[in-house]
Amino acid sequence: MTAQAIKRVFVNPLWLAIPGILFLLVFFVYPVCSLLLLSVTDPDTGQWAVKSYTRILNTDVYLRVLGITFRIAAQTACLSLIIAYPLAYWVASLPERVRNKALLLIIIPFWTSYLVKTFAWMIMLGRMGVINSILIGAELVKEPLPLLHNEFGVLVGMVHTMVPLAVMTMLPVMTSIDRRLISAAQTLGASPSKAFWLVYFKLSLPGVTAGGLLVFISSLGFFIVPAFLGGRQQTMLAQLIITQVSELLNWSFAGALSVMMLVTTLTAVFFYDLIFGISSIAGKEGSESSHSKIRIFGLQILEFISTAANILSQLSRVILGGYVTERLLAVFAWLIIGFLIMPTLLVIPIGFTKSEFLEFPPPGYSLRWFETYFNSALWLTATSRSFIVAFLAACLATAFGAGTALALAKSSSRWAGFIFGFFLAPMIVPRIVIAVGMFYLFARIGLVASNAGLVIGHTVLSLPFTVVTIGAILKTYDMRLDQAASTLGANRVRTLIHITLPVIKGGLIAAFLFAFITSFDELTVAIFISGGLATTLPKQMWDDMILQLNPTLAAVSTVVLIVVTLLLLIAERFRKNTIS
Amino acid sequence: MTMKSPKLTRRGLIGAAGGLTVTTLAAPAYMRQAFAATQITVADPGGPFGPAFRKAFYDPFEKETGNKVVNVAREAEPTAQFKAMVDTKSYIWDVCTLTLSARDILAKQGLLEPIGFTIADTPDLMPEAISQHWLGTDVYSTVFAYRTDRMKEAPKTWADFFNVEKFPGRRSLRKNPIDTLEQALLADGVPLDKLYPLDVDRAFKKLNSIKQHIAVWWTGGAQTTQMLQSGEVDMISGWNARFQSAIDGGTPAKIVWNQGLYSIEGWSIPKGCPKADVARAFIKFCSDPARQALFTEGLAYGPTNLSAYKTIAEKRAVDLPTSPVNLKQMAIADENWWAANRSAVTEKFNSWILS
Repeated sequence: MTAQAIKRVFVNPLWLAIPGILFLLVFFVYPVCSLLLLSVTDPDTGQWAVKSYTRILNTDVYLRVLGITFRIAAQTACLSLIIAYPLAYWVASLPERVRNKALLLIIIPFWTSYLVKTFAWMIMLGRMGVINSILIGAELVKEPLPLLHNEFGVLVGMVHTMVPLAVMTMLPVMTSIDRRLISAAQTLGASPSKAFWLVYFKLSLPGVTAGGLLVFISSLGFFIVPAFLGGRQQTMLAQLIITQVSELLNWSFAGALSVMMLVTTLTAVFFYDLIFGISSIAGKEGSESSHSKIRIFGLQILEFISTAANILSQLSRVILGGYVTERLLAVFAWLIIGFLIMPTLLVIPIGFTKSEFLEFPPPGYSLRWFETYFNSALWLTATSRSFIVAFLAACLATAFGAGTALALAKSSSRWAGFIFGFFLAPMIVPRIVIAVGMFYLFARIGLVASNAGLVIGHTVLSLPFTVVTIGAILKTYDMRLDQAASTLGANRVRTLIHITLPVIKGGLIAAFLFAFITSFDELTVAIFISGGLATTLPKQMWDDMILQLNPTLAAVSTVVLIVVTLLLLIAERFRKNTIS
Repeated sequence: MTMKSPKLTRRGLIGAAGGLTVTTLAAPAYMRQAFAATQITVADPGGPFGPAFRKAFYDPFEKETGNKVVNVAREAEPTAQFKAMVDTKSYIWDVCTLTLSARDILAKQGLLEPIGFTIADTPDLMPEAISQHWLGTDVYSTVFAYRTDRMKEAPKTWADFFNVEKFPGRRSLRKNPIDTLEQALLADGVPLDKLYPLDVDRAFKKLNSIKQHIAVWWTGGAQTTQMLQSGEVDMISGWNARFQSAIDGGTPAKIVWNQGLYSIEGWSIPKGCPKADVARAFIKFCSDPARQALFTEGLAYGPTNLSAYKTIAEKRAVDLPTSPVNLKQMAIADENWWAANRSAVTEKFNSWILS
């Protein structure tokens, strides 16, 4: 090997992805594959067998549930994007100081555990719930509306969880778009809506496609929302897999169901990539794939959407007049923010209830549930452990994710698309499968019931979010800045620290927050890894709500919300001070 | 080590790092021999069980033997964790509560340690509440409850629950074949003592008649309390203690014990547990009637040692599944039938409910 060849290998940007890849190989691929291998093992004889797969095909129930799962996830992704895009656009257009405050409001729902949020929706959407009581009280309807225990209920719960995720993925891309481009387009004669659709919207597409993918894939794994808010027809695959793993103890069949889910998801991601070119965040823009027929078809879809939207916006201008139309966006954004923070607002007064139940409005007020919380060493250690674990997992996941995303953005290797798919895998494999696989691995290396085990587990789960988020912002990053820096004499490290990182800061912060939240709200891995000894907050909430639902949950949520909001405000103040 | 455990555990995992595993994980065993008093970790169902069991079992056991009891909350169906624990020999729990079905699944796979005493040692125990690997501590019952403020006439049987003309109102059943099939057969006139083996086809036929009238198919116990309490439904199947907590909190509702099916939860020890001796002593300790009577103050579950009723107040006894007046109206759910048929019937049920 010549010195030249060695140099080429070592400066290959894909090296930056190596730490993340190794981490996933050890803590994700190995444990999950060991478990999935069970799907081709006969549980009775230990011999090689395809029994579990023939069982899937012998009845239509599993394929139907798979269909339902994909339908609900696709609906969730579409609705979330439609709702999140205008919101993100509005936030991106605000001056930076206000923008950060608005962002705080949007991510508020993140800080309420999804267990608590689901119950808040039950209280709101139920037959005797808040919304129906208001509607009947105002004599708008005679009979309570069926809002709960059907597909509508499931979609409300899932979209509510996913909109902040979609906004957070799109926002860094949107804020990095130079708005003067729109003015330039208008100067050159484009109408405002044309300038928006052909310039701004197109530039924001990497964020939209990344957000759509993240929402879609995350939605595939839901099980608590369909169980509590859904009806007879809304069974999702994760629910069946969990039953097989934890109730029937048929891991062979659970493995087969997971493989089915994994394969169909990867197929869906493949087509998604063909149409919308998501792996183009792996830096392949302009390569021949973008000229393929399917790619052109994808562009045509977007073209069609923009034309339709163009007509709509002109219609509204005619009907409502210019003044109202200009303010429509802000009104819409505030309505969505209201939708997002409603469950949280409901939870706060319930925390102060004197009743034994999660009911709204509370029949009377007291501090008893806060006393329960602050007097319980169990709750307090669980809270602090959750914060520490989430912080460490977020640091690790952001570091690995940034390395990987940089590698993918700078590499022109044909491996880039494959590596990108690899990093999405922890999001696709059902968490219960990851959790059981990890337990076997961690038990052997002494990580069960340890904080380190939790941090590692949560880092694995957060990695897809950080890679996609940082990848999306890098897609908008002008690589010529690096070349300029290097022309001016900066080495790679200097360029990274002084040019690249400051420019992609928004993406890094978003990625860190995602990872933090993923860990902070994670239950499945916590149940297995902690074994009840190293309890995290969601695990403690879950233990409490398996048997009795009491307002301690609401009190805890309120405390967490206050602590997090304070931390974020302090961080914001600190950041501003360092800038000035 | 069980022969049934899959390849993964035997070869792939234990085999690969066998030496390391033995040295690191066997450490607690030596420690136990070195110190007379030890600490056991007990996994109970969590929630209100924690304080109730601490008062009835954990604290008295600590006081009497000098061993410490740390209690943690387990998952609703901890079978997967149990299996993983035994396979990897990392005993994070020394004693854990199991339902009858979980016990049977785990016992069949050889994952449980014998408890070391029999019914002969505890004569007042319900005969169903003890087996070679397990001691039942508390009895729960699957019944139905109705809102007294909504139902004009009080339903008294499962036939009434299924009679939508005579008893109009919103209904909820469990999205699970277990108990639901039994309830359909009871509604169709099958006597309580002749339920098993279940006539699955007849049950689904009866369920067809009510399918469109079920407003909510519930999935978790906490949901049943919330729905009865908030008035989301007027009649609902479920576990007695969940309804009791709504009633204790002031909800106008009543439990129908007639034609109820009871089942038992109790302690087991994971196979090969290094602290099995202390765990066995603890389990034996929990068969005592006076101790069991104590937990009923905080939990609406029935003691398995029927002598406990000598010290339970009459007013509380009527809310408990094993009090003589309630117990005689009910029968025990047959776990053997379910162990043999659960997988296939669950598949059938999932298919039925989607169509």
